[in-house]
Amino acid sequence: MFKKARVILAFLISTQLVGCANLGVQPWERDLLAKEEMALDSEGIDLGLDDHIYFSKEATSGGRAFAGGGCGCN
Amino acid sequence: MRYFRLSMLIILISSTPLSLSFAQEIAAPDFAISNAQLPNKLSDLAGQVVYLDFWASWCKPCRQSFPWMNQMQRKYAAQGLQIIAINLDAESSLAKDFLDKVPAQIPVIYDPEGNIASDYQLIGMPSSYLIDKTGKVRFAHKGFFTHTEPLYEEELVLLLNE
Amino acid sequence: MQLISKNSLTNKMRKTANVNAALAAATCALLGTSAVVQADEGVWEMDAALLYYGETERVTAVEGVFSAKKNFGDEHVFSTKITADSLTGASASGAVAQPNAQTYTRPSGKGQYVVAAGEVPLDDTFHDTRLQLEAQWTQPLWNDMRGSTGVHLSKEYDYLSIAVNGSLAKDFNQKNTTVSAGLSLAYDTIDPEGGRPVAFSEMVIDEGQFANEEAYQAAFDATRQKDTDDKTTVDLMFGVTQIINRRMLMQFNYGLSMSDGYHTDPFKVLSVVNDQGLTQSLVHEDRPTQRTRHNFYWQTKYALDSGVADISYRYATDDWDINSHTIDSRFRFNLSDNTYIQPHFRYYQQSAAEFYQPFLLEGSSLPTFASADYRLGEMTAYTIGLKYGMTMPSGNEWAFRVEYYQQDPKNAGFDAPGVLQQLDLYPSVKAMIAQVSYSF
Repeated sequence: MFKKARVILAFLISTQLVGCANLGVQPWERDLLAKEEMALDSEGIDLGLDDHIYFSKEATSGGRAFAGGGCGCN
Repeated sequence: MRYFRLSMLIILISSTPLSLSFAQEIAAPDFAISNAQLPNKLSDLAGQVVYLDFWASWCKPCRQSFPWMNQMQRKYAAQGLQIIAINLDAESSLAKDFLDKVPAQIPVIYDPEGNIASDYQLIGMPSSYLIDKTGKVRFAHKGFFTHTEPLYEEELVLLLNE
Repeated sequence: MQLISKNSLTNKMRKTANVNAALAAATCALLGTSAVVQADEGVWEMDAALLYYGETERVTAVEGVFSAKKNFGDEHVFSTKITADSLTGASASGAVAQPNAQTYTRPSGKGQYVVAAGEVPLDDTFHDTRLQLEAQWTQPLWNDMRGSTGVHLSKEYDYLSIAVNGSLAKDFNQKNTTVSAGLSLAYDTIDPEGGRPVAFSEMVIDEGQFANEEAYQAAFDATRQKDTDDKTTVDLMFGVTQIINRRMLMQFNYGLSMSDGYHTDPFKVLSVVNDQGLTQSLVHEDRPTQRTRHNFYWQTKYALDSGVADISYRYATDDWDINSHTIDSRFRFNLSDNTYIQPHFRYYQQSAAEFYQPFLLEGSSLPTFASADYRLGEMTAYTIGLKYGMTMPSGNEWAFRVEYYQQDPKNAGFDAPGVLQQLDLYPSVKAMIAQVSYSF
C-alpha cells in the first residue's frame, strides 16, 4: 500500500515539472546546448550496448528517452 | 481508474494552444547596421522589401537557408529586395568558420548579445521576418524548411509588387 | 544448429545465460530509441562498433553493431540498426556449491557436466548467436509536435522477439520544455532445446540407475513441457526534458512496464539441501507469470567550458519486490578540438526479489515461486571505465572504450545451514569490456 503511494507520489511530482515555464533560454542562446555532445542521444551506440549488458546481468532495465534538448531548431 | 491521471495528462498536454508568432503589421524595430554594403540603419532601407534572417553557426537548418537566400537575392535584387543575415553567435569567430563553408552572397551583420533578436521577439531558430516597403513586418517565419521555400518566394513577390 | 548424437557428453552446446533477461532487453530497449533530434540533411550518418565482454571464468560475448541514420529533408528522419552478438562460456545455474564434486545434467537433456568441490556450479560451455534488427521513423506532425514509430526484431536459436513502438513529443516555451509519451508492445516466444522444464521438477541425473537410454529419456521427458511459450510486454513512457539555462538541461522520465507470460529461466535450478547443507536434489525454478515495473529516471547534462558532465539517477520498483537504485555518470573532457577523454562511473544496487532463495531446505513446503538466480537477488554492482575519442580530418570519428564491471551479490538474509557456511555462496562476477567504434 505504501509502495503504491510512493509510486503515485513520484509520478505526480514529475508531472508538476511541466509547469516550469520560467526556466530556459532564448532561442538564440542555445549554442552550447546545440553541441553534438550535449544531445541526449549523443552516444546512442554506447548506451545501447551498455543497456544490453545491464539488462542481461541485472534485474532492472530502461529509463532513458531522447526527446528534447539540442539546438531547438525548426 | 489507474490510468485516468495518465490519460488526463496526455489530453491536457496535447490541447495546449500552439505558440503564437510575432504580431503582424507592426513597424519593424529599427537597429543600427555596420556593414559597408548597407546604410547605417534599417529604416534607411524604406522603399525596399527587406528580408531579415536570424541565424547561428550551430543551427543546422541554416545550412539549407543560405543557398536559397543567395538565390532569392540574385533573382529579386533589381526589383528592390534586400536580404540581411543577422548572426547571433556568442563568438563571431564561429560565424566566420560557418561562412567559410557555406558562402553568403548576402550581407551579414553581427548581433552577439542578441539585442536585435530580443527586439524582434524571436521564438525559434532560425527565424525570418519580411518587411514591406513601408517598414512594417508582414510575415514572420519560425524555422526553415525546404518545402516552404516556394511559399516564402510567393510572399516576397507579393511585397515586391505592392 | 548442427545435430549432435545423444550420447555425446561434450558437444551439445546449450545456452544457459539469461534468456529471460534477453527477452526483456528486446522490449525495454525500444522506448529509448525514438525521437532522433538532429541529423544533417541528405547524407547517411553511420556508426559501427565492436564490443568484447569477458567475465573471468564465465561468459564471454562479442557484439557488433551497425547503425545508419538519414534526414530526408525537413526533419523527416529514418534510422536503422543491426546488431549481431555471440555468447560463449558458463553462467551460474542457481545451484549452490558443495564440499564435494557434483554432477549435473545439461538443460537439453543430452549430456552431463561435473562441478569441482567448493566451486559455484556453472552451467558449462554453451554457444549462441543472436541477430537484432530495428528501424525507426521520426517526423514533425503539427506545429512543435513530432511523432516517431518503429519496429524491432530479435532472433536467437530458441527465441524470437517482435516489437513495435510509437511516440509523440511536443515542445513548449520556445522549445525549452519537451514533453514526450511513448508506447511499446512486444511479443516474445521461447522454445528452448529440451523443452521448458516443469516447475520444481527434479533434475534427472543419470548415475547408472537407468536400465537403458530410453528409460533415462522417459524420466527426463517427464520433467519437460513440450510446447513453446510466450510473453507479451506493454511499455509506457512519459518524459519531460527541460532546459534549465544556457549550459544545462534535465530530463525526467516515468516508465511503466507490464509483462505477462513465461518469465522463468528454463535453464536455472535450485539446490534442495538438508540441515547439513548437503544437496539432496536439484529442482527447476519457477517465476510468476506477471510483472509490473515502475521506473523513475532523472538526468542532467551540463556543458563545461571544454566538455560535458552527464549524471543520471534511476529508481525502479516492481511487484516482484525488486527495488533498485542506479547512478550513472560520464564526464567528457575535450583535450583538443578533435580529441577527448571520458571517464565513466556507474553504481547499481538492487534488493532481492520476493521469491528469491539461494537454496531450498529439505522438508520445508515448496514456495509458490522460487529462483536462485543471483540476478534476482540482492546485489551491488559498479562500473568504472574510460573512453577516448578522436575526430579525423575527414570528420569521421574513432572512439575506444575500456570498462571494468563488477557485480557483488549479497546475502539477502538467509541463514546457511551446515557446510554451506564455509562456502562462498555469493561470489562476485568480474568483467572487462572493450569497445571500438567508428562514426562516418
